[in-house]
Amino acid sequence: MIAPKHILGTFDEALSSLRNNVLMMSGLTERSLERAMKGLFERNDNVCANAIADDEEIDQLEKQIDKDGVDILLRFQPVASDLRRVVAAMKLSSNLERMADQATTIARRARKLNQHPPLPEVELIRPMYEQAMSMFRDSVDAFVREDVDLGRAVVPRDERLDDLNRVASHKLVDRMAQDPDQLRGYLNLIFVGRCLERVGDHATNIAEDAVYAAAAEDIRHQTAAGSV
Amino acid sequence: MTPPEQTVVERVEPPVEATPADESVRCTFQVKNLSIWYGEKRAINNVTLDIASNAVTAIIGPSGCGKSTFIRALNRMHELVPKTRVEGTVLLQGEDLYSSSVDPAVVRRRVGMVFQKSNPFPTMSIGENVVIGLRLNGVRDRKFLNERLERSLRMAALWDEVKDDLHKPGTSLSGGQQQRLCIARALAVEPEVLLMDEPCSALDPIATAKIEELIYELKAKYTIVTVTHNMQQAGRISDYTAFFYLGRLVEFGPTTKIFTNPGERQTEDYITGRFG
Repeated sequence: MIAPKHILGTFDEALSSLRNNVLMMSGLTERSLERAMKGLFERNDNVCANAIADDEEIDQLEKQIDKDGVDILLRFQPVASDLRRVVAAMKLSSNLERMADQATTIARRARKLNQHPPLPEVELIRPMYEQAMSMFRDSVDAFVREDVDLGRAVVPRDERLDDLNRVASHKLVDRMAQDPDQLRGYLNLIFVGRCLERVGDHATNIAEDAVYAAAAEDIRHQTAAGSV
Repeated sequence: MTPPEQTVVERVEPPVEATPADESVRCTFQVKNLSIWYGEKRAINNVTLDIASNAVTAIIGPSGCGKSTFIRALNRMHELVPKTRVEGTVLLQGEDLYSSSVDPAVVRRRVGMVFQKSNPFPTMSIGENVVIGLRLNGVRDRKFLNERLERSLRMAALWDEVKDDLHKPGTSLSGGQQQRLCIARALAVEPEVLLMDEPCSALDPIATAKIEELIYELKAKYTIVTVTHNMQQAGRISDYTAFFYLGRLVEFGPTTKIFTNPGERQTEDYITGRFG
């Protein structure tokens, strides 16, 4: 059910502007991650440079969203779902900014890797990338569509990502022992895996915030059994 | 006191039962199936609501929803309006306020009231304003009156500001001080409950803050029911909030719940400013 408009039109405009900035920031973050990974898989330094350049705009959007959020709290003193949406938007922007920082780190690692012959082990990273990006997209979708079920479903998927990271790290450590000449390359891949694992953590945070915004339910820090 | 579970009200017949679910919560008022008519107009429609002791309960809702009528029914003040009719029961500490054996004057002494606009008696001094209720009840002991005067003014956080001017007219005080004087006057007769009908709506932010602070302090000793149009104020000062609409109780629950996650769409739309 679509909520009716506020009597105060400027309140609707401010909330809409905040939401649009969050959407824009999500889009840019997604693009930055895609560029960083493309730079890694296709060994393209230019694409890596674009991923790194994206970060500045994302940083500015984080500041803008925080400023707009504080402004809304100050001017309109939102309550209930309005308050939850503002709080969630501000938390979302923080997570998106950190995701974009991971994209920058991946792009930098990719540029280092690109200076040396290709490593076939880069394919160990691909399943992690797919898992992290699907979690990211679904978490943002859950926020945008206020889809509580989707938000909830994202959270347990982080375990799978953690498992993939563990497996990839073990294999890469083994490869280090077998081929010490490529030690730096394998180390860079381990760091890329670590970045994607962090992307999954941020996606989980976003999904949890999406559930809070939509249903006022705090699902953070729950074990599978539901206890804290 | 353990906060009670939120009670979500269904907007279907029969009306909502708004009772703090936790039995450990002591209730000063138990209102059951209360309906009030002014002539043909039904101002309150079948309201059932328990009001917790030593807590602040805020009544919110758009103009004409029955907020003021409801709190006035808690000390039978609405009966001053001609052609009023009441159905249902209002129990104060288990005693039916509307029993034929109950004197409305006694009810109003037990349940004090502060109004939107401060109304000190214009011909009386500050001191006389505070103790007039006791005098009208036949108290003549000067020492007792002086003690009660100081204590009431201290409780109303006004003593330090007026202790050297007790002989001056009550109307010589600022708006905020006059409102605290009215609170002191209500406290002087040692009521069990304080009803406040938009007590800050005519005050500036500083005076409002002083009254809000006072309300917070007074709830340790009194049960307070306040009507307010100010959502932020309701959020700041109250423990429980009841939302009224068109004479009905739509929702009642802990204030934090009502203002972060109301159970009823009408409540959400009202508090977020989507209808009024």
